[in-house]
Amino acid sequence: MHETQETLATQPTSARKKPNYEILAAQLDEIKADIKQKVGAEDAAYIRRIIFIQRICEWSGRILLMLGFLQPLLWVAGVLSLATAKILDNMEIGHNVMHGQYDWMNDKHINSKGYEWDIACDGASWNRVHNYEHHTYTNIIGKDRDFGYGLLRLSNDFRWRVKNLWQFATYIVLSVLFQWGVSYHEMAAERVFFGKKKDNRKNQVTHNELKKRFFSKGARQLVKDYVLFPLIAGPLFLWVFAGNLIANLLRNLWTSTIIFCGHFTGDVETFKEEDCKNESRGQWYYRQALGSSNIKGGNLFHVLTGHLSFQIEHHLFPDIPARRYREMAPKVQAVFKQHGMHYNTGGFLKQYASVLKRIIRYSFP
Amino acid sequence: MRLLLDKFTDRIFHHGSWKGYWEVLMQQIKPAWRDGYFRARVVTVKNLNTHILEVVLEPDSSWPTHAAGQHIALTIELNGRLTTRVFTIASGANTHQRDKQIRLVTKVKAQGALTPYLHTCVPNQWVNISAPMGEFVWPQTEKPLLMIAGGSGITPFIAMLDDAINNAQVNQKAVHLLYFAKPNEHVLLEELSTFSKRCESFTYDTLTKQRDGDVEAHLSYFADAHWLVCGPHAMFEQVETYAKTISAPVSSEHFAALPVVSHTSLTESETFSLVHNGQSLTIDNQQTLLLQLQQAEQPVTYGCGMGICHQCQCVKKRGVVRDTRTGELSDSAEQLIQLCVSQAVTDVEIQL
Repeated sequence: MHETQETLATQPTSARKKPNYEILAAQLDEIKADIKQKVGAEDAAYIRRIIFIQRICEWSGRILLMLGFLQPLLWVAGVLSLATAKILDNMEIGHNVMHGQYDWMNDKHINSKGYEWDIACDGASWNRVHNYEHHTYTNIIGKDRDFGYGLLRLSNDFRWRVKNLWQFATYIVLSVLFQWGVSYHEMAAERVFFGKKKDNRKNQVTHNELKKRFFSKGARQLVKDYVLFPLIAGPLFLWVFAGNLIANLLRNLWTSTIIFCGHFTGDVETFKEEDCKNESRGQWYYRQALGSSNIKGGNLFHVLTGHLSFQIEHHLFPDIPARRYREMAPKVQAVFKQHGMHYNTGGFLKQYASVLKRIIRYSFP
Repeated sequence: MRLLLDKFTDRIFHHGSWKGYWEVLMQQIKPAWRDGYFRARVVTVKNLNTHILEVVLEPDSSWPTHAAGQHIALTIELNGRLTTRVFTIASGANTHQRDKQIRLVTKVKAQGALTPYLHTCVPNQWVNISAPMGEFVWPQTEKPLLMIAGGSGITPFIAMLDDAINNAQVNQKAVHLLYFAKPNEHVLLEELSTFSKRCESFTYDTLTKQRDGDVEAHLSYFADAHWLVCGPHAMFEQVETYAKTISAPVSSEHFAALPVVSHTSLTESETFSLVHNGQSLTIDNQQTLLLQLQQAEQPVTYGCGMGICHQCQCVKKRGVVRDTRTGELSDSAEQLIQLCVSQAVTDVEIQL
């Protein structure tokens, strides 16, 4: 694998020793095959239970928001309940179902082609950019358009520009508006509105279709949370309007934080386009492993992150039902250890501090 | 109203259907309540002989009654996976109206995806069924009838006779049944005997190939009848060929035995047909379906080409495919597959 002196300097020593890719692939494949055999009724019941809880949270949230005039605490409970519903829909249900983790169930409402989630981003657009590009070309600069989202400089692979000086503020804005960032991601990357269009890129979707889907999905979200439900509440219009706004904000901050902790902690590595040419399965696994990081936490924490607190396992096995990453993680960690590979994990505060440090560090040349 | 609610759910909750949106909640109260399916309660499951199983179901009151001879798709959740197979209803419409029950009689296939698990169904368990389907029903004809059944192909005839004898349709004309099965594997003989006692114009022969020869040997006596045939494909072909030579009218329903496929059979190159969106394409078993669709310049969405991103996923309507990563063979019924990691093992039909 080709590396420049510059990236070497930023990498932990453990990563420099290359594993035996064939053995690594065989070991990880075995972990996957073992779990695949177990996937069944329990997993189907689990995702149905989560969808059940999501529906309950969403509707109790929407009702409680309208009872705020009786007792403001009910309104607060409503906001938290609706935010939980939105987080569950986004993370444990939407993200995982759209990865195809539950396609084997043959259930038309719980599969990657049919699912649409409760965020501004059109599911098909996310599927193309995230499911395909990001998961195939993880952290390959120039191919994985998730790295820094084109807004942030997070490694020396990018030339420093003056705008990077205030990229911490940019990061805060991105987190607050995260669902819109995700929604706009494919269009920004395709340079639909601004910038030079790349001639060599082969589009599967026309720019007009992208625009149509962007505006249509976004508008439906805005109408739902800021027009329809507030109007149903009549005189309590503002209570519901504000409640929905805060629930969306909480969801945005949460998802953004979890995703940044999974991808942009200090030790996460980047790769070059030539790294993935004629890449073997073992090399692909290796890149997935070093391009992501985990967060330690309790049961509820893992569920609310959609098990993206096991980002390493998710990148190695994106279509295994996410709740299974818990069982896989100790085995994966043991394999990494055997090959002298860094298994990037830590508590939430440690990982998040490391993300903030990285954003600030690369603000400067 | 339903359309309006579906539209509302789609615009506001991004869910294709109103019923589907509430499905998981409804399932807490009504098990196996599913959008797009009818529910049926299992009444009894019993073995008729070592290979044949009888399942009696009580469909929900909203289920539209079948016409004798029609079939339904039965869906059961097996280890979390919704598995569907088609079965002919082996009881008449009048029985359903009277008892609110229908009966399925099926051969249990040791390697099957669903039938080996049917006996695990317990009374009062809920399963899903489709609306009745199919055109293979009692024909509108003045001619006498010849029914030709092979193995479990007896089921639609039992249903038709059940109705016809109860409705006295059969008194107006002669009906004869040729029932082929392996020695000692004929089922529902008591019912056939009761039918013939109740109705003089109905007669039947239980035959085995070994003892009585091929179906063709019996057909010449019924040249003036309307033929109905239900059984294995090979039997149907014989009947059809013979019918052409004497211009006898034939209605038929036949099932092809699933090809037996081994993992090693892919070492030899074979060609198959791939039907998609009403078009047909000749393909081989050496390359993935995605590559061959691309070479044929068919409109197909794709992504990583290695089975990760599910961009090229589509519905396989029928046929068996092999997963190039694991060698695993798919189900033969409707299923979601990824084109980039699937090779054909039989003729395949997909919906792009």
